[in-house]
Amino acid sequence: MSTPRAAAWLSVPARWYLGALFVAASLHKIANPFSFAVDVATYDILPLSLVNLTAIVLPWLELVAGAMLLLGVRTRAAALLVAGMMSVFLAALGIALAKGLDVSCGCFASQGAAEDPISLATVGRDLAWLALAVFVLVADRGLLGLEPWLARRNPHA
Amino acid sequence: MSTQPPLPTVLRDALLVTATVSAVALAVNAARPDGLPLVAGTAYETLVPCPEPGGEVAGIASEDEALRSKRSFFVDARPPADYRDWHLPAAVNVPFDWLDPTPAQVLDRLARDVAASRATRVVVYGDGGRPDSGEYLAKELFRRGIRHVSFVVGGAPALRGGGRK
Repeated sequence: MSTPRAAAWLSVPARWYLGALFVAASLHKIANPFSFAVDVATYDILPLSLVNLTAIVLPWLELVAGAMLLLGVRTRAAALLVAGMMSVFLAALGIALAKGLDVSCGCFASQGAAEDPISLATVGRDLAWLALAVFVLVADRGLLGLEPWLARRNPHA
Repeated sequence: MSTQPPLPTVLRDALLVTATVSAVALAVNAARPDGLPLVAGTAYETLVPCPEPGGEVAGIASEDEALRSKRSFFVDARPPADYRDWHLPAAVNVPFDWLDPTPAQVLDRLARDVAASRATRVVVYGDGGRPDSGEYLAKELFRRGIRHVSFVVGGAPALRGGGRK
């Protein structure tokens, strides 16, 4: 099996993992917008005028990008969105750590800083997920996705 | 095996998804009863906890021998008003602030006073609450380099109830 083909097959579990991760991460935020807005505000990066807008839109973007990765629909676009979000999260984490803030990550659920504190380990974890998203962006060939199947059903689309 | 869509197409798709999802998210937010206002009217209460004071300090009972020892240096961690109302005769007042660390100059002065008193032990008592300001101040003193620190379990109420009025 050639290297691109092997990479394409490897990107399938990678996108399933990232997709499940992002869907899981979005659910609590969508269900509890106020809690997530507090998490966003706690990072003390965005002006107050943008906190709610971010808290409203970001979880839905996570949900849809995650679902696209899981289903294999517009996979590269979804991987690009995930990579973009991970870059933003990493920047926020870096700024918060540089400020010495003892805050909750807010990545999966709104918890106290004692239960889910940000740390260099959080940065390392997010870097790994960013690398995975870039890998999917580069290697994906639409294997085991819905898109080729949809294209066959509607060849003029 | 399918070919990859070109990067401009990927970018266009990502922008389209972002725009569509943003519109849907805003519509859902407007429809739900617990939706957020687009712009927050007042700043969020984002209480960022201070780092936990470190150091293991021992708790002593309100009847402990150390409370009668002339080699003990007493520190009252309660607010000044409580200190004025009642305190151990020899105690100095270093109010513990739950949000801000004790100023360095206060600790320096305390360390000098402890050294000048020739005390062998520092005994801190606080409000006796949960958490107890005395225990936390004792931990902070230990973390900032003052050794042989202990705190009175139950704080000032235990001392007053235990006959040291």
